This record gives sequence, C-alpha cells and structure tokens, in this order.
Amino acid sequence: MKTPQALTLSRVFPANAFESDKGRGRVWSKLRRDKAGLLGLVIVTVFLLLSLGVLFGWLGQGWSIADGGRWEPMSVNHWLGTNLLGQDIFQRAVFSTRTAFEIGLAVSLLSTLLGALLGALAGWYNTKLGGNWVDGSILWLMGVLDSIPFYLFVAAVAYALQGWPWAMHVAMIVTFWTTTGRLVRAEVMRIKSRGFVLSSRAIGLPVPVILIRHVLPNTLHILLVQASMAFVAAIKTEVILSFLGLGVQDSVSWGMMLAESTQEVLAGHFNNFLTASFMLFILLLGFNLLADALQDAFDPRQASL
Amino acid sequence: MRIILHNIIHGLLLILGVTLISFLLMVWFGPDQTYTLIGKNATASQIMEVRHELNYDQPFMRRYLDYLVELFTLDLGASNSSGEQVNSILRRTLPVSLALMLPGFIIGNLLGIVLGLIAAFRKGTWSDRLITGLSVTGMSISFLIIIIGLQVLLSTPYGLNLFPVRGWQVEDLSSYLAYVTVPTLSLILVTLGYNTRFYRAVFIEESSREHIRTARAFGASPATLMWRHVLKNSLVPITTRIMFSIPLVVISGSLLIESYFGIPGIGKVSFDAITSGDQPILKAVVGLTAVIFVLIQIATDFIYRLVDPRIS
Repeated sequence: MKTPQALTLSRVFPANAFESDKGRGRVWSKLRRDKAGLLGLVIVTVFLLLSLGVLFGWLGQGWSIADGGRWEPMSVNHWLGTNLLGQDIFQRAVFSTRTAFEIGLAVSLLSTLLGALLGALAGWYNTKLGGNWVDGSILWLMGVLDSIPFYLFVAAVAYALQGWPWAMHVAMIVTFWTTTGRLVRAEVMRIKSRGFVLSSRAIGLPVPVILIRHVLPNTLHILLVQASMAFVAAIKTEVILSFLGLGVQDSVSWGMMLAESTQEVLAGHFNNFLTASFMLFILLLGFNLLADALQDAFDPRQASL
Repeated sequence: MRIILHNIIHGLLLILGVTLISFLLMVWFGPDQTYTLIGKNATASQIMEVRHELNYDQPFMRRYLDYLVELFTLDLGASNSSGEQVNSILRRTLPVSLALMLPGFIIGNLLGIVLGLIAAFRKGTWSDRLITGLSVTGMSISFLIIIIGLQVLLSTPYGLNLFPVRGWQVEDLSSYLAYVTVPTLSLILVTLGYNTRFYRAVFIEESSREHIRTARAFGASPATLMWRHVLKNSLVPITTRIMFSIPLVVISGSLLIESYFGIPGIGKVSFDAITSGDQPILKAVVGLTAVIFVLIQIATDFIYRLVDPRIS
C-alpha cells in the first residue's frame, strides 16, 4: 500500500523519481514480509537441496534398479511401492528432482540470457521513428516465433534433433526468450535516455560495455521474475513432451512417471501418478509464489494493482 | 491508408518467416520418408523414383517456393501416409477439434472474466485473496495431471464412472456431451488460473483510472461502475487476448487433449504427422495457422483503429 505522502509525491515526480530507492535492502525487506513468497523460497530451497543430494550421489541412486515385483504396494523396502517394471517409485521421484532442476535451470538461465541480450540490442537501436534494421529484425524474429503454435514447434524441434539429449532444452530456449526479450526491449527504450546512460555515451564507452555494464543490470528486476517464470514453464513443458515421447532420454523425470501412469491409473495403480503429481505441484507452487513475491518486491507499481 | 499498407507488408514478412522456419524444421530437417514408403531390397532406381515423387531431389529454394505457392492457392496435395487429400483431412478434423475445444475455451474465458471482476472489485478482501490464491494453485498444476485426475475421477470405476474413458463416437447431442465433458473440464481447469489472473490485472488497471473515480464520485452504483465503466473499457485487452489465443489453443491444446483421449482432430493429426514425417499435412497445418494468426493481427489492429480514435 502506498502512504498518502508517497501518493502525493508520486504525482509530483511520476515513476522514475523513485528509482533511486529501488535498492537491494528495500527489496529484501519487502520480500521478508511476504509470507507466501517466503513459503515459496523455502519450498524451492528444499527441492534444490534434494537435487544437490541426488547430484552428489547421496539420494535416489536406485531409480533404475528393478528389484521389486510389478506394482507392489507401499512397504518398508519400497516406501511408495513399485511401478510396472518393479522399480522403486520413491527413488524415482527423488531422482527426478535433479532432472527437473537440470531442465529448469538450463532453460530459464539460457532463455533469459538470450532474451536479455536480444531485447537490449533491439531496445538500444530502436529509433522510435522505426526503420532501424537491428530492432526491426529482432522484432520480426520474435513475431515469427510467437506465431507458430507452441507445442507443435517444440515437438518439431525436439523431433528434428531427436537422439540428441539437449533437443528438448534447445526447443524451449528458442521459444521462451521472446517474452523476456519484449519486456527488456521496452525497459531499455525507457532507460536509454536517462542520465547515467547518456553520460556513459558521452565519455565514449563502446556500446557492448554500456549495454552489459550499465543498461542490463538495471533490468535485473525483469530478468529475475522472467527466469523463475521460465523455470515453471520449462518443467510444465517437459511433462507434455515426455507424454508425447519427446522428453528426457536415459533418465527419469516426473513427466516420464506421469506418462507411465496414464496406463496404470486405468488399472487402478495410483502410486506413480500421485507421487509425481505431488512433487511436481509443490515445486511449481513454490516457484510461482516466489515469482509473485519477486514481482511485488521489485515493482511497486505493478504490486499495487 | 499508409498504416494499412504497412500492416500488410509487416504481415507478409511474418508469414514468410513462419513458413521458412517451419519449412526448415519440419521438412528440410524432418524425417525422411523414402524408406518407409518402399519395402526392403529396393533398387537404386526405385529409391531415386520415390525421392523424386516426394520432391526430395529438388533444391531448397525450389521446394520452399513450391510450398508458398501451394499455401496461397490452397492446393495442399495429398498425405504421404494415407494418400488422402490434405484439404479433405482438414475438413474432416477441424470441425472435431472446434467442437472439442470451443466449449472449454468459451467457458474458461467467461469464468475468468467473472472471477477477475469479483477479485478486482473486492481487491484486498478475503474473496480476492481466495481467488488469487486458487489461481496460483491452478497455475501450478500440470495439464497432464488435470487430464489424468479428471479421467480417473469421472470416467473410471475408481471414481464416478459417468463418461466414456476415451474416444470420440459422436452421433447426437447426448453422445457429444458424454465425450466432450471431461476434455472441456480439463481445458477450463488448466486455463482458468491464467485467465483469472490476467483479467483481474486488466480490471484493476482500468478501475484505477480517473474516469472511474469520477463516475464513483457522481454516485454510480458498484454494479454500473463495474459493468458499464470497467468491463466496457477493458474490451480492447479482452478481445486481444481471446483473438490471439484462439489459434494457439485450438492447435496446441488439442495436440495434447486429442493425443490423450484418442480423438481424431487436427491436433492428433498434426502430431502424428510430426512423428511419421507426413510433410504435406505438417506444411498445411503450420502454414495455415501462421496465415490465420497474421490475419488476426492485422484485423485486430484495424478494428482498434475503427473503435478507438486514441490509437494512432
């Protein structure tokens, strides 16, 4: 909530005047008061620790061992029962945390990076009168990528690069960057006429240095929120691609477990389905809450909406 | 006039880009069908013949230009695997997909608008918090989980067992309702969170405008305020969202729903075409979606200019 004083001030000095107090301290203190956001942070941290445990070989290592019977119920040996092949569902669910973070981090980091760079370039070279070829072609590329039905495109990329373990990641990175790109472009167009940018141009810094050292750090609030949203989108898309048979290879993921379960549930075996759904839901909820809290903390104008 | 011309050129460039990328991806790097079409022990000349029939021996530009001509004359050729004309496949599958997706699409948007209005209107109260909380929850559930869950709960002996498990044998209204209910509910549930959040933000933005405050000061009742002032003035973002999501929901959404429930619509046909390398179908689906998408973009822009003189 804005105080009456801030309201009057914001009328006198609209928007930009408050940029100076957009410091880290204020963001963090706002984040700390956001209970839902903290819950999100806790959930994400727990899952991150879990995935590190898998990465270092402490957890979930028995995911592919088929030492149980088909569809065993819960027991001391197999905490959440076994699947069709007699593999331990608990182990598989835990191991999948690592898969989820691999996909989520790779896709969200790279797509955000790509969006930041191309968006900043487009915004920098935008002349408002139109006609600059850099801005024009980046905009055109975004328009083209957004006009192709998403799943069809991802499926086609994943299929064209089939057999290559990163096909799915590439498909998602190539499509996910456009949203970040548009937002960064708009923000760069806004800040490129501000004092610090003009002065760095005046002292003759080369464009890449200005963009990377001075302009992009000021879009960090967009990048953080977009990255956490891309993480959610990546994991959700992995589920769909796994169901369509284009997902991870030689590994296990919650999407693969759900795809397996589509046949099992009709025969009344729900352990695979419930376990994977639960893990997936909690992690996505955590990331969504975190993304919301970040958005609120960074962007008071949006937050008051 | 200049703006319209500019839009059309812009649209044509977009169509060129989309067709080029999809052509590269799905045709040039797509699966090679030569060896699925001829049997074992083919001679070199037989192989050459099949490749010639499939146009595989033509240079890239030639094949791409042929594709553009096919697209604009709507002469889309015949499917490689079944031999059926692509036009007749589209005529057969498109109505199925529309009948399958439209109810969920419409109800999902209407519910989203209603919930968004309630949340925006009671911003900050417990009902707003409940609605936004449920939206975030809905956004965190995977499409596949919703489909499997609803199928188990509604169509199997483990749940209510009211509807057929899968398939699409529609003859009359009651069989249509039987087959369409579970997919429709899934589509509503999966889109409702996103829709509600989007519409809530739109309505809150609109109700913070000065003219709403003025209307309130003049004593307009809450209902008139919401209905006449906020909703009507938000029609531009609402129509944009709906227009732009139609092609994407119909193609992308039906891809998953139809594959899951085994429904012979356009989504299933295009997915099968990706995996089997049936290029004529793929080229038609992607190309036509792109064209429709660009046409919608031009049309929306044009309508705005007619409706809202502020846009220039």
